[in-house]
Amino acid sequence: MQISEFILSPLLALIIGIFFLGLARKIMARIHWRYGPPITQPVIDIIRMFSQKAISHGSIFNFGLIFSLTGSIVVILFLPIGKMCPLSSGGLLVILYLMLLAPLGIALSSGEAANPNSSIGVSRKFLLALGYEVPFLLILLAVMAHYHTISLIEIVRIQANTGWSFGSLPLVLSGIAYFLILPAILGMRPFEISGAAQEISSGPKVEFGGKFLAFSTIQHALHEFIGISLFVNLFLGGWDLFGILEPISNTIWGIILGIIIFLIKMVIIFIIELFINAVFPRFRIEQAMKYLWKWPTLLSFIGLLIVVLFN
Amino acid sequence: MDRNKISKWLKNPGKMAHKYSFHVVYFCTGCGIIEIPPSITARWDAERFGIIPVATPRQANLFLITGYVSTKTLKAIIRTYEQMPDPKYTVALGSCPINGGMYYDSYNTITSLDKYIPVDGYIAGCMPRPEAIFIGVTHLWKLIDMDKADGYKRYREDYVHYRANQEQLFGELEWPPLFIKEIVK
Repeated sequence: MQISEFILSPLLALIIGIFFLGLARKIMARIHWRYGPPITQPVIDIIRMFSQKAISHGSIFNFGLIFSLTGSIVVILFLPIGKMCPLSSGGLLVILYLMLLAPLGIALSSGEAANPNSSIGVSRKFLLALGYEVPFLLILLAVMAHYHTISLIEIVRIQANTGWSFGSLPLVLSGIAYFLILPAILGMRPFEISGAAQEISSGPKVEFGGKFLAFSTIQHALHEFIGISLFVNLFLGGWDLFGILEPISNTIWGIILGIIIFLIKMVIIFIIELFINAVFPRFRIEQAMKYLWKWPTLLSFIGLLIVVLFN
Repeated sequence: MDRNKISKWLKNPGKMAHKYSFHVVYFCTGCGIIEIPPSITARWDAERFGIIPVATPRQANLFLITGYVSTKTLKAIIRTYEQMPDPKYTVALGSCPINGGMYYDSYNTITSLDKYIPVDGYIAGCMPRPEAIFIGVTHLWKLIDMDKADGYKRYREDYVHYRANQEQLFGELEWPPLFIKEIVK
């Protein structure tokens, strides 16, 4: 069981992440009153990219992309998907560290390409990361202080017993703050600053072609999975759905149903994010920083104060 | 459209994926670019067939030249074409890239684009409507099926002649040759 989890967990994340990309294109098309591509379109795109002849810009260019892909896969090994979690030691602190590997790898790779557009994209990506890391850290601190643990599995398990933390009074502000920074973590509008196709020719991806673009698309899919699944684990109770899995929680069916409930929660959150993505235009970088350091930071700070004072 | 035929996908996934995932660089040379926005937005919705515009030539596999080509823009067209990864396809829109069109006697308009870069297909008309672009895409699917959309192979084989034509027009070129081996031969 333990070994198969190491293979199953990233594979599931990859399938769901690519399904999310297809769902995003279909739903965006329906909002525009278009028919839209088939939901398998990202798979077709990725096959096409792998069959194209790629141009490399040097060894760091290759290494950076592999680095970021590895970073994303390692983060997924630390995330509980339902009850499936291959690596459980370290918990949230490890995730906080490892989540920076992915943008770092992309930055190395794009820097080697020496394209001005990709340099601008990378600098915007890091500025945006700086913007959302502050409220993100405050939110994680509030959650860890409330549950007296850094283990993500433990947090999910306590939520199954005492109710979702999004519904509990001390953590509701932190939950709202996480929801507000979620588009920035996913790189969707209104925070589509680093990958803006119309302004800076799709930013860090500007020199990626062929298999490099395919790997970068896969990395993007995994990153979307990480951002949303962290939200579901921290605030929406993971695999728990009002205790209906309580009688069968230790059987194989309990585990499979737990994963399905977890994925359904993720899809709902992702669709809400897509509606936000469809409605809003893009921020400029200083507007994004002003927003991220004002409202989400304020909310998460008050949330942290409430948790510390009332526990 | 044979996008849902699993047997064809298993037989040749690369070719099928190329047919149904055109990432397009639109080269806005002339009046033809005005026909593109309706074809990619809600009215005709090219994304149904997997056709979306991309921002850079590195990510693209279809190069759409929309309208007349002046001597100055031809330089940019050649450089964009050479940056695209193989396999790549070129389609020229309107009558101007075919024979100059209404600018046939202009001193700074290219009368035949095919002399400088290989063109896989032309969509004739002045200007062709968005429906004609879709018919052009279905023709390109047929060409890819029959392995006749081989412009990128022709460019490699006849690179000496293409380069000679380009140098005849511009004199000394600012960029190095794409295929050095072919030049040395």
